[in-house]
Amino acid sequence: MARSDRPEAPTGSRTLVEARDLRRDLGTGDARQTILHGVSLSIDEGEFVALTGSSGSGKSTLLYLLGALDRQTDGEVWLDGVEMGALDDDDRAQFRNERLGFVFQFHFLLPEFTALENVILPIMRRGTARSEAEDHGYEVLRMLDLEELYHRKPGELSGGQQQRVSIARAVANDPALILADEPTGNLDSKNAEGVFQIFSRLASEHGRAIVMVTHDGDFARRASRQIRLKDGRIIEDTAQHPEQAVNEPA
Amino acid sequence: MKVALAPHRTTVFIALRQLWERKLLNGIAVGGVTLGVLVLIAMNGIVKGFEDKFTETILKISPHVILFDTELRPGEPFLQRYMGTLVAAHVAHESPSERQSRVKRPYEIVRALHSVPEVEAAAPSLAGMALLDFGGKTKSVDLRGIDVAAQDAVTPIHQYVKAGRLADLDTNSDGIVLGAGLAGDLGLHVGDTVHAASAGGKPRDLKVVAIFEVEVPPVDKTRGYTTLRTAQALLGRPDTIGRIEIRLHDSDSAFRVSDEVERLFGYDCESWKESNANFLAIFAMQDMVVSFVIGAILLVGGFGILAVQIMIVLQKQRDIAILRSVGLRRADILRIFLMQGVIIALVGGVVGDVLGKVALHFLALVPVKAEGLVKADTFLIHEEAAIYVTGVVFALVVGVTASLIPAIRGSRVEPVEVLRGQIG
Repeated sequence: MARSDRPEAPTGSRTLVEARDLRRDLGTGDARQTILHGVSLSIDEGEFVALTGSSGSGKSTLLYLLGALDRQTDGEVWLDGVEMGALDDDDRAQFRNERLGFVFQFHFLLPEFTALENVILPIMRRGTARSEAEDHGYEVLRMLDLEELYHRKPGELSGGQQQRVSIARAVANDPALILADEPTGNLDSKNAEGVFQIFSRLASEHGRAIVMVTHDGDFARRASRQIRLKDGRIIEDTAQHPEQAVNEPA
Repeated sequence: MKVALAPHRTTVFIALRQLWERKLLNGIAVGGVTLGVLVLIAMNGIVKGFEDKFTETILKISPHVILFDTELRPGEPFLQRYMGTLVAAHVAHESPSERQSRVKRPYEIVRALHSVPEVEAAAPSLAGMALLDFGGKTKSVDLRGIDVAAQDAVTPIHQYVKAGRLADLDTNSDGIVLGAGLAGDLGLHVGDTVHAASAGGKPRDLKVVAIFEVEVPPVDKTRGYTTLRTAQALLGRPDTIGRIEIRLHDSDSAFRVSDEVERLFGYDCESWKESNANFLAIFAMQDMVVSFVIGAILLVGGFGILAVQIMIVLQKQRDIAILRSVGLRRADILRIFLMQGVIIALVGGVVGDVLGKVALHFLALVPVKAEGLVKADTFLIHEEAAIYVTGVVFALVVGVTASLIPAIRGSRVEPVEVLRGQIG
């Protein structure tokens, strides 16, 4: 695979995410196991990072730590110059609301709300008035070619449409970092490609940093950077240690 | 203010929408609360209605305060009066004197009572037991010797006269006015002459001049009125006033005025609340039982909310995880579920109020045959605005309490645990 295939990150961009020696233990007593063994990485603005690895490699756990949803056992997560471990629960919620966007495998839209309403919930949480939030939410839907579907409830949308609405929700508050957990895992190849293109565009055109957990080798290669985990350790990082990756067994 | 309230718009929005989207389930929870409030209003209406009626009947024929002929502060012992403080000899048990007790200078007390601001009317009378004999039947009578006009101002007997005229007592020196129940038992009618006797006085024949019915069976079956002079002669207590009955402007002040009069005149006084303490105690007990039943039903309503909300919280783990990931705080989640419980309770309370009002309307039409303490043809209903407020307040307390546990549970959902479970 040639490096030139990858969309290049904007030059001179600043570091947005920095993880230092992250460790995460789960369970207690005899069931206690270490999921992440001291992971360090940094991600710049505009980078599209694919996080790969087999089941149980710790990639989802790393994603939740980078998204301030989970708390590390040891180590530090710096997001945009703020150490997440120093924030209390409410401050982390506010940080997620204002600076982060999440996309999950199973779309996870709230079933009682229309597409537009799902998108404006994070906007309204910031204190924006409903009508203003709706204007903005509608813009976001239009950017993703979803404006026709704004009044539909999730039950009336296809899987691909639902996933695109959930991406709209993730970007509604103009986040610096978008975290996606197997966003294409539940979609057919056409819709998966569409979702990948959206992420690609968000990174290259809008300068967002994206961390996407994926099982799809093709998408992983086409991201601007691929980080591979195994047993809670980074075994390959195409940005920082491309030469190491050659030496590791696949 | 705007800044402080703005983020709550999201929680209000979510709470209301989710409620609206599961109408059936919430309807069941609302139904539980509605039932509780309905029972609260209906039971309270019936029980209080009966108690009100009882109090009202008691008050229409009973004086508010009775001053008895028992002196509270008997004079100091003879020796002490003359020799100063020290008393060397003390008689442990004085044999009861033959002299019967009486209210001394009763008319001065009555005059003085009329100048007490709370007092509406006061009447001196003499009460005693006598036997009535007619047609081979003998009945005891709770005989009251009264000053007709004065007594009627204290206990308006003339309102309840069914046959004859109360005023005829004044013109008929040997007249008697009887309760309908007593007259019926003896087979007496107005114009009949009945033989009366007592332990101390001279027996004499009395002419029935009127029959009254206050619809309080214990009174109707035992009470008889004669003039004061007739009663004094019949009971063998000439010139004696045994009690002064008092009517107040406000019956609720009876307790206080009773103490006041006692202090002023030195005679034992009793308010109507003390005279009817046994009934009022039964009412207190009844109120307690009713409160217990109402409480139990409201509790069941609370469990309805609890069950529905617990179920929703368990079902909505995923949605909670999503909301938390887009930046809602634990407190926001708590608020959403709490708000839903409160709204369910509020709707239940208001619907319960409306149905309760309708229920009271129809209960008042239900025929019942009651002849115990009071006579009634239908349920006696008490209705007051406060009970509707109480209904809603109780519903709210139940709602908040019942939704607290699910709400706390919901707020404790860890988004990562839910997401991790989803991905497997």
